[in-house]
Amino acid sequence: MSQAITKEFSVIGKSVPKIDAREKVTGRAKYTGDLKVPGMLIGKILRSPHAHARILNIDTSKAKQLQGVEAVITGKDVPSTFYGISPARYDETILAIEKVLQVGDKVAAVAAVDEETAVKALNLIEVEYEVLPAVLDPLRAMDEEQPQIHPQYERNISVEIHQNFGDVEKALRESHVVRTDYFHGNRATHVPMEPHAAISKWENGKLTIWSSTQSPHYFQYHIARVFGLKMGDVRVIKTFVGGGFGGKLEPSAAEYVGAALAMKTGRPVRIVFDRKEVFFHNRGRHAQHIELTTGVSKEGKILGVHGKYIIDGGSYTSLGIASAYYAGAMLPLIYEFDHFKFDCFRVHTNLPSCAAQRGHGVPQPRFAFESQLDMIAKDLGMDPIAIRKVNARRPNTTTLNDLKVNSCEFTACLDKAKEISGWATKKGKLPTGQGIGIGCGGFLTGAGYPIYRTRLPHASAVIKVSEQGDTVTLYIGAVDIGQGSDTILAQMAAEAIGINYEDVRIMSADTETTPHDFGAYASRQTLMSGHAVKEAGDEIRRQILELAAEMLEANVADIDIDRRVVFVKGSPDKMLAFENVANEFFIRKGPLVGKGSYTPPKLGGKFKGAAVGTSPAYSFAAQISQVEVDEETGQVMVTDVWDVHDCGTVINPSLLHAQVEGALFMGMGEAMYEQVVFDDKGKPLNANLAEYRVPTALDVPHVTSELVDSYEPAGPWGVKEVGEGATLPTMGCYANAIYDAIGVRMYDLPLTPEKVWKAIQGRKKATRG
Amino acid sequence: MIIPEFEYLSPQTLPEACALLAQYGDSAKVLAGGSDLLVKMKDGLMQPAYLVSLKNLDTLKAIRYQERTGVIIGALATHNEVMTNSILQEKYRSVCEAAHSMAADQIRNIGTAGGNLVNAVPSADLPPILIALDAKVRIVGPNGEKTVALEEFFLGPGKTILGNGEILTEIIIPDQPTTGSNYIKFGLRRAGALAVAGVASSVTVSQGTCQDARIVLGAVAPTPLRARQAENVLRGNKISQELIDEAGKVAAEESKPITDIRGSIEYRRNLVNVLTRRSLKAAIEKGHV
Amino acid sequence: MVTVMKKGKLHVVNVTVNGREHAALVKANATLLDLLREELDYTGTKKGCELGDCGACTVLMDGKSVNSCLVLAVEADGRSITTIEGLEKDGKLDRLQEEFINHTAVQCGYCTPGMILSGKALLARNPHPTERDVREAIGGNICRCTGYVRIVKAILAAAEANG
Repeated sequence: MSQAITKEFSVIGKSVPKIDAREKVTGRAKYTGDLKVPGMLIGKILRSPHAHARILNIDTSKAKQLQGVEAVITGKDVPSTFYGISPARYDETILAIEKVLQVGDKVAAVAAVDEETAVKALNLIEVEYEVLPAVLDPLRAMDEEQPQIHPQYERNISVEIHQNFGDVEKALRESHVVRTDYFHGNRATHVPMEPHAAISKWENGKLTIWSSTQSPHYFQYHIARVFGLKMGDVRVIKTFVGGGFGGKLEPSAAEYVGAALAMKTGRPVRIVFDRKEVFFHNRGRHAQHIELTTGVSKEGKILGVHGKYIIDGGSYTSLGIASAYYAGAMLPLIYEFDHFKFDCFRVHTNLPSCAAQRGHGVPQPRFAFESQLDMIAKDLGMDPIAIRKVNARRPNTTTLNDLKVNSCEFTACLDKAKEISGWATKKGKLPTGQGIGIGCGGFLTGAGYPIYRTRLPHASAVIKVSEQGDTVTLYIGAVDIGQGSDTILAQMAAEAIGINYEDVRIMSADTETTPHDFGAYASRQTLMSGHAVKEAGDEIRRQILELAAEMLEANVADIDIDRRVVFVKGSPDKMLAFENVANEFFIRKGPLVGKGSYTPPKLGGKFKGAAVGTSPAYSFAAQISQVEVDEETGQVMVTDVWDVHDCGTVINPSLLHAQVEGALFMGMGEAMYEQVVFDDKGKPLNANLAEYRVPTALDVPHVTSELVDSYEPAGPWGVKEVGEGATLPTMGCYANAIYDAIGVRMYDLPLTPEKVWKAIQGRKKATRG
Repeated sequence: MIIPEFEYLSPQTLPEACALLAQYGDSAKVLAGGSDLLVKMKDGLMQPAYLVSLKNLDTLKAIRYQERTGVIIGALATHNEVMTNSILQEKYRSVCEAAHSMAADQIRNIGTAGGNLVNAVPSADLPPILIALDAKVRIVGPNGEKTVALEEFFLGPGKTILGNGEILTEIIIPDQPTTGSNYIKFGLRRAGALAVAGVASSVTVSQGTCQDARIVLGAVAPTPLRARQAENVLRGNKISQELIDEAGKVAAEESKPITDIRGSIEYRRNLVNVLTRRSLKAAIEKGHV
Repeated sequence: MVTVMKKGKLHVVNVTVNGREHAALVKANATLLDLLREELDYTGTKKGCELGDCGACTVLMDGKSVNSCLVLAVEADGRSITTIEGLEKDGKLDRLQEEFINHTAVQCGYCTPGMILSGKALLARNPHPTERDVREAIGGNICRCTGYVRIVKAILAAAEANG
């Protein structure tokens, strides 16, 4: 049961309008590519036409002579420091030094007066390549005869993981049903509507970068490192960001190459990727090839699980080490079991690099697990929801891999999803061609550890009250990329202080003017940045109360603040306006400032990779979908989805449900439509939005998003995660619904009409499940 | 992305336009809506030295009905104009629906009916239904004008019979005895998706017997393909589910699909079978839909 | 008379944007999107794919929605263009803009201008659309954040205001 919440909130829990909505609906919101800095040049990058080749020579002389060209650079003109975002594997450089490792790899760059001149200059650069054999099939990447992509990674192994908890062999021996199935994931990618963009300015030894970024802090850290600058001499300013979904967590060539060109020319340089370059940069979902073995008891209790993975990392490591660990670490989260073995090879191929995408590493394993659990339920003659309830995680438990779960209303999610979807009247009872299925997920609320080793707090905040006391400004490093963190955090500041949402201004995500925060990833900000905001707000509140006690001649303990009224409890006539107290404070003591920071407690076990998956709190979700399958064409129409989430206290219901809707929409795209495909030379065949098909408004199902009552003790006001969790259940949920509809089991994402049709052809005899 | 440079020419009259095209030959391209041409130019697949814009040729924008000729669609009518035109809505709603099945609103306001034919993209949506309705095209060139059956117009992907200096000006759907027509497209998304396969049909049914039928397949051959053997299955026979099923099967055998990222040969043949059956059924039961 | 624009030369194009006449200098290969963003600074019109596949650059040309990335600036000569900046009148938001705010139909905001303009074009031709009509009308506008749920509601709510 959730903890009782006694105090009624004044600001949180309300669907206030987004703080930036007006700027966005009027077109006034400026994204990086909308900005024009005086003297600005346009940068363009020459990209490799080959998947794997040695650069023999680059002749830039003709390009340099073109009028309007201010600089042409190659790998020889820029620092050769290796970078990445997983410190264990720095293996990428600003421009290729010796070899190119994928089609679209960065070879040279130009800064010119306008885009057209820059493009012309690129066409004048002559590159001589020695084309090398390329590794294109991740399942063969480790074979002896395959070329080695990076000198330091033998057999193209990027990371190899072997984790063993309990005694899986014994658990499987003792199981009533053991199944082994093979599942194949797809290379999906984020497709933020705004391509990556940066403007770099180099002035008096100081680098300023306006960027479409999910983390000014990590950008500042890595850019300073690569260029050998003090962090204090690198300023990263987030502009409005047109979506990230994990693809803008690390600096791209827009920043690195742009900064190099700015240093070379002494003029600001703007680089905006075109859509094809976004596909080249990628950092999207790893395609995971999963052999999954699960053993259960007669009653459906999961006894042991063994997952063997090969995952396609692409050209560079990026954040891929973490992705690989996440693929296993989160499997034991939502169901309780004690014996688990996780073997994983992340391999390099000569394809675009893969890294974090919404639900980081977890959606495809969930697809495999949720699919297999349904198959097991069928083997046992159990209802799919019943088998999930037998195994559902309970609150205040610890997973076998030492993840500590506080709040958990997963069973309540299952019950509610069952009820609102009409499961009992539909499961196995719909007409042929129609079906219903369930899938579940759970996700962390902020990673327990930062990406590189540092003792900095994870989030911090400063709140300053204006001298008149009429408004307050929240300074925070948290990053709003559209999900609405600026709004949520402003609501929290208002609630903590005792003022109105409209009174709060926010300055966020600028490494120079706002205090440190790691940024928008791993669903961390509502809890972590929220803690910092609450602490800062509490400090303001305390200072106001103390002064008001003096002014009202009352005890501090007897005074309260609500919506700008400072009053003595029980004596409604004894009150002051917030602005009067705040103004008086400034007169007597100077600036009224509150500050706060948050560091998670020490989390996790001692084994290798134990840090991955740790978090102060976890969300849980059950999703049920209904589908119609056209058996003649294999086309699947998802008609309805019901999502029930356990996400703790809700700060802004509208924004919360919008996150669920958006996350399951992304899950739907990955489940049904999306996959980057390549020709036999490693060239992407659909690096555009015509053939990489994101669902349109006509393709999406009717969505019902509901919550269960929940309170997370580790979160400020009881909050936890929502933004990524709803991506996880969707793929398995659809596969299970398709099975219910037509008795065909799908193992291979995405679930395209042709694959469904072929599976139907392969079906010997339909057996309704 | 940058459109490679070109010289822009904007004639006031059709003869001027033809003269310019004749003068510059292969180095010139006609700019009608541009929704296909500009994409190809941005992608670097085409780099014409001259673009001859037809934007001033207002007479080519109209859709009208002319006694004894039929419905005349100006080549510059946009897809949305075709889709919403009252004459077509009344006489051949199947054509409106084919236009509707294309891309999305923004492109349908730019792209033109003529462009959809002249580009000769195998997956184009208008050619199958227009051929099923026995449409003709009017071609004007330096040596006068001619009217040609649309069926004869396509030579291969991106290739048509248009000669030097020639412009497709009108599409004519003749008055006809057909009783129904229909176009069904299978795309991998409900908007903004090219056809994996498309099937158009027209039928002339009298007292339960199929007097005549035309079946045209899209996206399963280098050009729109008449499924003549499937038509023969129907012609002169009593309409039945079995007959329609047989036509579907035969059409699938006649199709010449290739495997690409949108679908395999095998799958496309299946789609032709399914869509042919569905298209015929709709044409028979719902008229010109 | 044939109008000729030589390669690489600048030419005057007259366009009315949001009721204001502009005479802008462009090259023949400039798109309407380039003209609006780079020359006239209407940066509310977004660049998402540049190939007509995403709808972020949607503007109204003589009242009809078009992808401004696939219209040559010169072809817009003499036409009337409405961009997102033209919807707010005397500090008062258009009903669609208000409903997008009220319904939390905005997340990252990058698709929002194009979305609203597609909604505007729809309501102009069909003041009482069904949900299906709305979904059709925005079928060419990709949103990656919202799953369209609240966008559809916002447009329907704005239509409701039509009485």
